[in-house]
Amino acid sequence: MAQLLARISPIWFAVILFYVLAGIVSPAMLSTGQALNVLQVAALLGLVATGQVIALLVGGIDLSVGGVVTLTNIVATSIMLGQDSSIPLAIAVCLLLGILVGALNGFMVAVLKVAPLITTLAMNSILFGAALVYTGGATRGTAAPAFKIIGQGAVLGIPLSAVAWLAVAIAVAVILRRTIFGRWIYAVGANSEAAALMGVPVKRTLIGAYVMCSVMAVLGGLLITSYIGNPSLGIGEQFLLNSVAAVVVGGAALTGGVGSAVATIGGALFMTVLVSFTNIARVSTGTQYIVQGALIILSVMVYRALAEKRRIT
Amino acid sequence: MNMKQLNRRQALLMGGAALAGGLGALPAFADVASEATIEASSEIAKGVAKKKPFRIGFSNGFSGNSWRTESLASMRKEAEKLKDVVGELIIVDGQGDIAKQVNDIEDLIVQNVDAIMCIPNSGTAVAPVLRKATRAGILTMPFNLPVEGGNYSAYVGVDPVSKGKLISEFFNTELKGKGKIVALGGLPGNSYTAAIWEATQKGLSKDIEILAFKDANWEEDRAKIVMADLIAAHPEIDGVWCDGGQVATGAMKALLAANRPLVPVTGDDYNGILKLYDAEKAKHPSFKILMVSEPTWQSVVALRETVKLVSGQDVPKYQLIGARTITGDNYEKFIKRDLPDGVCVDTDLSDEELKKIFS
Repeated sequence: MAQLLARISPIWFAVILFYVLAGIVSPAMLSTGQALNVLQVAALLGLVATGQVIALLVGGIDLSVGGVVTLTNIVATSIMLGQDSSIPLAIAVCLLLGILVGALNGFMVAVLKVAPLITTLAMNSILFGAALVYTGGATRGTAAPAFKIIGQGAVLGIPLSAVAWLAVAIAVAVILRRTIFGRWIYAVGANSEAAALMGVPVKRTLIGAYVMCSVMAVLGGLLITSYIGNPSLGIGEQFLLNSVAAVVVGGAALTGGVGSAVATIGGALFMTVLVSFTNIARVSTGTQYIVQGALIILSVMVYRALAEKRRIT
Repeated sequence: MNMKQLNRRQALLMGGAALAGGLGALPAFADVASEATIEASSEIAKGVAKKKPFRIGFSNGFSGNSWRTESLASMRKEAEKLKDVVGELIIVDGQGDIAKQVNDIEDLIVQNVDAIMCIPNSGTAVAPVLRKATRAGILTMPFNLPVEGGNYSAYVGVDPVSKGKLISEFFNTELKGKGKIVALGGLPGNSYTAAIWEATQKGLSKDIEILAFKDANWEEDRAKIVMADLIAAHPEIDGVWCDGGQVATGAMKALLAANRPLVPVTGDDYNGILKLYDAEKAKHPSFKILMVSEPTWQSVVALRETVKLVSGQDVPKYQLIGARTITGDNYEKFIKRDLPDGVCVDTDLSDEELKKIFS
């Protein structure tokens, strides 16, 4: 039993503990409706964070996810124009866009050796600029009715968005843990020189990791487009740092090689419960930010202490 | 502030007549909002005659939404009409960055333009650089969002206090003086939102309880997410105060998703909320709207007043455009069913021009 508990990431204890505490302060948090609402909203951040954890695992970071989400939202709605028949084309174009952005990020980081922070921040700026050029500041189009089902519908009461998110996150977890490519990702993140000596194709792994991260951001962008139905040039900004926070709260190290896609599910849930709780609690926006920031720091500190203790025992 | 009230058409025509005397005939203004009024202060800004053709700079705080896009299109159109006198309109974009905007204005000062117009990213941060420009003999015209202190030539904007008053009267009437409301703001710390909210609170009946005020960053998705949380927390929500029509749309979509009846809501002249009202009003008898517009044609008034100043003509130091309201009774006049949700409908641009911008 103790062994089993030790294998479970501390983030899950943090999520449950915080959810119960939030429920004691605001009983509305514990209602079934609100639990499902948290799941539905967590899926938006969760998908983007599932990509972000891959970037962090290879020792990088992807700050272009905000731009990818925005551009996906803008391009998808402008192609769909409310027509169900245009859904496949919209998804295909957005996925291609994600692959291209990820490949460019990866090429810059792996081949040209530009720091990931700079590369992806610059890419974020380019993508936002592209969205602005594409729309001229005037967004158009809307999501197709059938497309909105994934973001707004439910199956047996469970939000479809959460089902989609969990399916993708688990698939990524399997790729990371059970495939050679997944092992390469961990190896490159832990020590890229040692990995290269062992015959790991470091450059290809890095490029692959950034492509996966961008594709996840595209999926997140498609999901939020489905959730709200309309385009907005500011839609992706919230994911830029929140996705990093969700991954780090989930126990990943910014130095690379440490972290998991499953724990990132917990990280996204924690972040969403946190925001939801501060929305429900009668606190001002300023207090809301302070509480959010303080709890993120606290959770990371507790996580580190627990991890340290485990190493000793 | 001692203000006298002019009809917008009168105000614009007055400007036109004055310009016509010294600058040649002014093209007619495509008036879509003739009932709007402009209140002018008795305090006067002194005009300084500059050499024609004028070089006018415009520092736009950012350009990433449809309001700014339409406003800029209106300004460019007006500049084109005034091309005999406005030789050059130099537009710089602050990209939402407070420091960049200050640098942009510094650059305009170095270029020795005749006048600088601006929509500030921060009402406090641009105050010193506008003072510097004014001292350098450049006429300065902030508009749309206020600038701290009075160290600029003149200002054109919408009065947040009258907006707030109208909104509180709406809730008092629709809720019959009693009920519970939630409020969804724009960007945290935005002083314009705060002023409207403060005026609303002052006017609300004492039996209307405010359950929460939360910021929704002027984003439809954020508004929907925040509202979903508030719905979970509060079984009774009788009204929703929103800063902006996109926020109102997000909030109403959250009520729809939760299978709750739609309730009285406020916002601005965002096409999406009018379309939503049109689609849902029959199913939700309690759904009432009061949209107080934020005219995109403020830029045209600002440009005209700037041209007057550089022509040597005095103008009122402060001009406040009266709030215009869109309700269930008159929304048919404003709704643009063939255009995207993002269109701000209180505009001087024609549907054809809007179609070009939004395509």
